[in-house]
Amino acid sequence: MGVQTILVVEDEFLIRFMLADGLRDIGYQVLEAADGEEGFDVLSSGQVVDLVVTDVRMPGGIDGMELTRRSKSLAPGRPVIVCSAHLFRSESHPADEFLAKPYTFAALADVIARLIGDPWQKSSQTLSA
Amino acid sequence: MAKELSDAQCLIVADADVLIRNALAEYLRHCGYKVFEAATSDEVIIALDEGAAKIDAVLADAELTGRHNAFELRIWIRDHYPDVQVVLAGNIDSAAKAAGQMCDDGPHLRRPYDPERVAVHIKRLLAATRR
Repeated sequence: MGVQTILVVEDEFLIRFMLADGLRDIGYQVLEAADGEEGFDVLSSGQVVDLVVTDVRMPGGIDGMELTRRSKSLAPGRPVIVCSAHLFRSESHPADEFLAKPYTFAALADVIARLIGDPWQKSSQTLSA
Repeated sequence: MAKELSDAQCLIVADADVLIRNALAEYLRHCGYKVFEAATSDEVIIALDEGAAKIDAVLADAELTGRHNAFELRIWIRDHYPDVQVVLAGNIDSAAKAAGQMCDDGPHLRRPYDPERVAVHIKRLLAATRR
């Protein structure tokens, strides 16, 4: 299995960069999108995306919840993690996981590893196979 | 341009189209650069002003949007960050060519693949989203 690809959708530039850079550092391939419309462009382009991490409130016509619904429509089995400072864990949402802002990078990495696996673990499994 | 970019380690790729931006940035990462992806001129300015890394060069679409257009942005960068090289690309092919040139003189000194493949890849992605 190759490196998994994560789509990070976040309109705050520095947050997006730090998340994407951190995820690349731990071995994932990362695509970045600056809002929901860009995120949907990436999902519609035919590129392989194994997991989506999206903010909820973003400018433009597609917020994080709508992007989650569209991602599920395109690929029902693809996990989506929504991150928000404006949503409570108890509220219903179409995503697989919810992270309340502020969250730590380690918390996000743990959730991702649980949903699609840890790239380091996968590479060591490949080496030992 | 090649000589001027020879020591570059950290770049900004600025393009309003996410598919173009992603592909160019990924290519330049394969060349060994750390790459910030900016969707607007405002994000370029944030990266320069607030990003933790020292930026060496900006590869921007000539039709970049934001508070400044691409040409205004080039002037702004020249005034505020005179050491930062700015390359404006007018279309996908010239952007890929510029990325290839950056790659030749970048940290790894070798192209991971031909930049023409980047242009072909971008056009294929764009066609897929417009179906």
